[in-house]
Amino acid sequence: MNDTIVFEDVSKFYGEVLGVNRISLSIPPGITTLVGPNGSGKTTLMNLMTGLVQPSSGRISVLGLTPDSAPEFFSMVGYCTQFDFFPRGVTGWQFILDSLMLHGMEEDMAVHLTIEALERVQLGDAAGRSIAGYSKGMRQKIRLAQAIAHHPRVLVLDEPLNGLDPMARAESIALFQELGRQGMHVLISSHILDEVDRISDRVVLITGGYLIAEGSIHQVRQEVHEKPMQVLIRCEHPELLASKMFAINHCVEARLHADGKGVFLRTADIDQFHTMLCGIAAKGLVKIDAVAPADDDANAIYQYLIGSDGSAS
Amino acid sequence: MAVYKHNYSAYTGSITPPWKRVAAIARYAFLEAWSSKITIGLFVLSLLPFVLFLIGIYLANNPLARALINSQGPQTIAIDARYFAKVLSSQCWLGFVLASWIAPRLITFDLADNALPILLSHPVSRLGYVSGKFIALFGSLSVVTWVPCLLLFVYQGYSSPQPWAAANLRIAFGLFAGAVIWIAFISILCLALSSWVKWRVVATGIIFAAMFVPAGVGGIFSAVLRTRWGLLLNIPVMMSNIWQRLLGAPAPFNDRLSLPTGAIAVMLGLACFLFIAMLNARIRAREVVRG
Repeated sequence: MNDTIVFEDVSKFYGEVLGVNRISLSIPPGITTLVGPNGSGKTTLMNLMTGLVQPSSGRISVLGLTPDSAPEFFSMVGYCTQFDFFPRGVTGWQFILDSLMLHGMEEDMAVHLTIEALERVQLGDAAGRSIAGYSKGMRQKIRLAQAIAHHPRVLVLDEPLNGLDPMARAESIALFQELGRQGMHVLISSHILDEVDRISDRVVLITGGYLIAEGSIHQVRQEVHEKPMQVLIRCEHPELLASKMFAINHCVEARLHADGKGVFLRTADIDQFHTMLCGIAAKGLVKIDAVAPADDDANAIYQYLIGSDGSAS
Repeated sequence: MAVYKHNYSAYTGSITPPWKRVAAIARYAFLEAWSSKITIGLFVLSLLPFVLFLIGIYLANNPLARALINSQGPQTIAIDARYFAKVLSSQCWLGFVLASWIAPRLITFDLADNALPILLSHPVSRLGYVSGKFIALFGSLSVVTWVPCLLLFVYQGYSSPQPWAAANLRIAFGLFAGAVIWIAFISILCLALSSWVKWRVVATGIIFAAMFVPAGVGGIFSAVLRTRWGLLLNIPVMMSNIWQRLLGAPAPFNDRLSLPTGAIAVMLGLACFLFIAMLNARIRAREVVRG
């Protein structure tokens, strides 16, 4: 079986409203995060991936299957929507059990998988209570349990961290990471860019229905040539280091750190920059304590490629 | 880079046939429909005419009971096709009231809660989803329509001193067929209209309006153009025609309210086609979030 999710020139229009336009993607196993402003097409992309909507043009294949082969396709995909829907009056236990029955499990197997899923999200004790009495975080968890209960190979999670307290968020992230490490496709849409950095193997940036970038955060950052890389160097004499780097005509911008014990330098060629920095350190001109990329993260990529107003630059 | 062992295993066990998944939706819907106290109240109300008609049959077949209540004549109430036409009509209209309450609970809650994406991300098609809801509604309405009607027929057959049931099997068929046509029609009508409204109470109001407003429009049409074809918008009159013919009962109204069976069938078929198109347009897992 094919091990990737493939979008080939996929477009989706809702009447005259653009959902996504000419998206071509190939997503391997691991954690992939969809990043984009509201209305950018993230949910449409997820709906296409889960077979809930059909593309207006193009072709989608999820691990070699299309939504036309419904039983196999849907048993392979777990979807956690962002909407807070639960059938009224049901308990957590019933919600998961009925979902598994809808997936076509026999009752014995459904009971076994329900127990397993509830334990995974640590809701075993609350399983017998009505979902209506759950906190927001518990509701988010039970949705996640519903998405993973039938052992899908692709897990699509729309804003799964919303409403979770820091502890529950850490637990959920740990679960995603574990599933991703085990070879599952975990696709997450999130606005929380700091967490995107922590959990993602790769990001897909989308805005206005158009794909802006995809790949690992580092790869994507390196492709943004018009925004030179920024590096934070912790050292004793940052102003001296800045002057040296400018003297060899390599840096395009320097900014002292607020505490005066470091400097942010921008460079168009990060490899050459590191070589020169090593040379300066080797000569003992400046004692360097630490070197770290300052804008090699999801937040910076988002700012550079999409902008704070959501319009791609 | 770390090397991870890809040991995640997807579920590869057996899965149930599609009808079982539809049955799961139907069971869900059935529980939803009957979880309301108002549903129970309407159900009890729907059985009151049944009890009255049952008493009528009892009195008709029991001279001693008639004597006790000082009733005159050998049989004051004739238990025939006309009697069962009244039974069928009253049960069916109470069934409509029940449907107008239940159907919005089955659909509008799902729409209001954006439930369709999560439900349809299971291996259940849109047809399966609607079928599950339809089965739940059809089953609920059966309990107040053809089931009590046939129970009364059986009771009459049992109580009658003459071999009544065998000679009147057409009534039994008419009761069953008439009720099934009606509940199938109103089930699809109520589901279709409920799918276009997110507020349950409004949906109930619209269902009543859809039943009676076209009848008024049809009446105006008939009066202005001096034709009886405006009655093709009058569902109560059309159904009365069908019930009367299925039961073999004499027409309860004059010829001006009589319509050809073929024309009624075409009209009901067109209406069902419209309702299916409405369901097709609305029952989608579309989840567009903008702004």
